[in-house]
Amino acid sequence: MEFKDYYQTLGVDKTATVEEIKKAYRKLARKYHPDVSKEADAEARMQAINEAKEVLSDPEKRAAYDQLGEDYRAGQDFRPPPDWDAGFEFTGRGFEGAEADEFSDFFANLFGQGGRRERHGRGDYQRRGEDRHAKVLIDLADAYQGATRTITLQVPQVDAQGRVVTREHSLSVKIPKGVKEGQHVRLTGQGSPGLGGGPPGDLFLEIHFRPDPAFRVEGRDVFASVPVTPWEAALGASIETPTPVGPVRLKVPAGSQSGRRLRLKGRGIPGKEPGDLYVELTVVLPPADTDKARELYATMARELDFDPRRRRGG
Amino acid sequence: MADDDVTRGELIDEAALTLDELARACAVEPDWVIERVESGLLADGSRYVTRQRLTSQRFTSHDLTRARRLRQVERDFEAEPELAALVADLIEEVEWLRGRLRATRPH
Repeated sequence: MEFKDYYQTLGVDKTATVEEIKKAYRKLARKYHPDVSKEADAEARMQAINEAKEVLSDPEKRAAYDQLGEDYRAGQDFRPPPDWDAGFEFTGRGFEGAEADEFSDFFANLFGQGGRRERHGRGDYQRRGEDRHAKVLIDLADAYQGATRTITLQVPQVDAQGRVVTREHSLSVKIPKGVKEGQHVRLTGQGSPGLGGGPPGDLFLEIHFRPDPAFRVEGRDVFASVPVTPWEAALGASIETPTPVGPVRLKVPAGSQSGRRLRLKGRGIPGKEPGDLYVELTVVLPPADTDKARELYATMARELDFDPRRRRGG
Repeated sequence: MADDDVTRGELIDEAALTLDELARACAVEPDWVIERVESGLLADGSRYVTRQRLTSQRFTSHDLTRARRLRQVERDFEAEPELAALVADLIEEVEWLRGRLRATRPH
């Protein structure tokens, strides 16, 4: 286990006041908050920042950490000495619940309630395990057909010495057909293990679709854009159009304009009330880059009584 | 892989969450949820809600996402619930607009 320098994490001196620590924390929270940050490791950074604030803004934990950390540097291999916390009382406020679950081994070993309770022999204590959350990326086609995904989670456990260690837990999960963007799948009993024989928590998977330039999704409705030639739009045609699960034939009505939206009922994401697939036509003009093409455009200009600006009244 | 090794989950919305389940999934007390629903910050706040009614109310997947976001913003920024709800509203709108923007980019 590596020693964590919480002062370095927050970028403050060891002499920083509580107010300076909070100020540094807020600045970093603003930068790395997963909802707004574009940094790839924002979530992990935010957890590290929260953990550092949890310790340094609590006078009891900070005093214990300062005494322990005198001889260590960040990243150095670290084992807490036996009874390192003798003489300190922790009220435990602020990290009951899932927050402590999200913190590092280092934190859990020093302050986590799981290890402490085991060490202090509270054998009669029983508690349901925490619920856990994970994000899963799937393709839009998977929402149409269902998919199986293997998910690897870090699960905290108490070892024989009463220390909290994490182990990897791989789980093969069936993602049900008809899932929507942002929807959750609950896996009962796959969360954190319970304490003292308590039942395990649940695992919630938050489903997101891998970005697909060909489709846009709103709820169960799916939107696509398909290019057509001027003659297909004008005269009508049967064209091949993509859907998330393969191409289908689509009838383009005669007299269509660019931007016309055609609805394929029930071809959106499946469900009790399946969504629709909307195909927007985009008329693409052939380039006038040969004599033949220019001649055809010139013929149209001569023969057709057409001025799109006149129709607008311009 | 044998089919037995595959864990099947239930889709939230089809099996919506109870008040206690939502609270547990967000690592908060049920009262935390009740206060935010009563204040119109969570779930359908436009309705008249009573505590009695809330115990039988079911919460959706969207409520779970929003409740976790509210809790995280409140905790990370020591924010008032109303401010956290405003942030959540703006994030939801930005997500929707980004989706629209992606759709209008040339393929």
